[in-house]
Amino acid sequence: MIDVQNLCKDYTFKRKEPGIRGAVKSLFTNKRELIHAVRDLSFHIDAGEIVGFIGPNGAGKSTTIKMMSGILTPTKGSVLIGGEDITRHRKEVVRNIGVVFGQRSQLNWDLRLGESFELLKHIYRIKQSDYEETLDVMDSILGIKEIIDKPVRQMSLGQRVKGDLVASMLHSPSVLFLDEPTIGLDVSSKYALRKFIKEINEVRKTTVILTTHDLGDIQELCERIIIINHGVMMEDGNLSQIIDRIAPFKTLVVEYYDEIAPDHPSCEMIEHDGNIAKYKFMKNDTTAADLIAELSKLRPIRDVSIEEAGIDDIIRIAYGE
Amino acid sequence: MKKALCELGHYFEVTMHVIKMAFLTIIEYPSNIAGWLISNPLQFIVGFATIKFVVEAFGEINGWNYGQLAFLYGISVISHALSMIFFVQGWFMGYFVIEGEFDRYLTRPLGVLYQFFFTNINIFGITDLIPGILVFVYGCVKCQVHVNAWFLLQVIVMLIGATLIRGGIYILIGSTSFHTRNAVDFGQYTQEIMDKTTMYPISMYPESIQFILTFLIPIGWVSFYPVSSLLGIGNGFANGLLVPFLTLLIGILMMLLAGAYFKAGLKKYESAGN
Repeated sequence: MIDVQNLCKDYTFKRKEPGIRGAVKSLFTNKRELIHAVRDLSFHIDAGEIVGFIGPNGAGKSTTIKMMSGILTPTKGSVLIGGEDITRHRKEVVRNIGVVFGQRSQLNWDLRLGESFELLKHIYRIKQSDYEETLDVMDSILGIKEIIDKPVRQMSLGQRVKGDLVASMLHSPSVLFLDEPTIGLDVSSKYALRKFIKEINEVRKTTVILTTHDLGDIQELCERIIIINHGVMMEDGNLSQIIDRIAPFKTLVVEYYDEIAPDHPSCEMIEHDGNIAKYKFMKNDTTAADLIAELSKLRPIRDVSIEEAGIDDIIRIAYGE
Repeated sequence: MKKALCELGHYFEVTMHVIKMAFLTIIEYPSNIAGWLISNPLQFIVGFATIKFVVEAFGEINGWNYGQLAFLYGISVISHALSMIFFVQGWFMGYFVIEGEFDRYLTRPLGVLYQFFFTNINIFGITDLIPGILVFVYGCVKCQVHVNAWFLLQVIVMLIGATLIRGGIYILIGSTSFHTRNAVDFGQYTQEIMDKTTMYPISMYPESIQFILTFLIPIGWVSFYPVSSLLGIGNGFANGLLVPFLTLLIGILMMLLAGAYFKAGLKKYESAGN
């Protein structure tokens, strides 16, 4: 469905020295610096996949997704969607994609939500019957008809994002790009958004590409993740396999009766605060049951819990912290 | 050919819907209407009153009598109003560039410039049309022009050309923001310059300025050349009944140039960071 080949994006910028002197100086010098925001990314995404892009701020996630959706022109490389180059055939290719950027809305601020939908209906030449059918489907997932007559400027963020999601799906695109869709949303709106993504992926077989900082999104939605840092691909693959490979450990949290926490050779104490100690152990070396038995021989244990290595560990390791 | 017509029909359909939305927006904020209806026409009526005063004091300006000046002034204001309706967004292009507002146009299957101008169509520009038409009709009466089909065609062609020249200039200046990554708030300045160079005969300026306004920044073609040839006033350069068509040609060329420059800029578009 999507083929990204050797994708690169460079930016130039002028470094400014501090103060008025620096500002005046930069007027006369022409020292431009090159930033490689995205370096040589290549990957393939099949139809029907949900792929999560993760990486720290400034890693190049948004730049990548903007090149994939036709907003930015790549410095080098190409993005093919359904076999067509989006840079060269923008107008044809974007007919097949939907885009939602969490911090930006494509809705008309002054008018009721429905007017923005009507405009899109004309822009994409959606048949009235298809339009109504999509709205019905969207209503059953997001309850959109409750807010369709409300002016967008009076909407809460959660309602606005719902509006944007429906707007991006009206023309039934086969690929949906979401750039930090859950940013700033409350729990129930987040839940609705995740339900929406799952449903359109299952029912309409829409391919979904999203960037997020919300690890819950990733864990709940994505089988495949792509980790980017400094514009370079760090990982690309199945979420649980990546976790097994680069974070093959669990954390055992033990509460003792007093503040003395023993060490044990098959695990590593990573935190000790009052009665509670946290141990990290490799899944291959030992099991949680053995470890609890061993530790309870050393000191009496009051309570235990086990934390799986999660996506945040992955990110911490992959980002090189 | 059929495909092109189909495409044109599509753009027309979207335009109609966009205009409908623009009216809905106006109705949404009714208090604005009164303000615009009063202040915009007043601005030009007062401007014209100034000319009347000057002409009455000095007899004529550079060989142009009162009626001819009214004609020129009317054409200038009408083309200004048309450019306000269709192209005023160009004044704010820099902000769209810096704030990443082109993202949404780029992800839709229509021309980016088309969406930029037409989805923000400024229906309020109509309020400038009213004084323009009033002064123009007044000028026609004073000059005792024979209104026939040929005359109307020339006026329409000249107005289309003039609007395209103005729009092209806005796009050219606005598109520099893609390269400088700065928003230049040039609207007020260009309007000042345009007012001073299209409402009065440019033959009253020094030759060097006339040269610039004829060949470098073709503002002279917005109103001065076509109107003077239409009224049979010698301008020493472009006379004849086909000059309005020359204005149209220059307008189309300006638009093509501006479109190419815009397109080159769009390749350097950087959106805005999230």
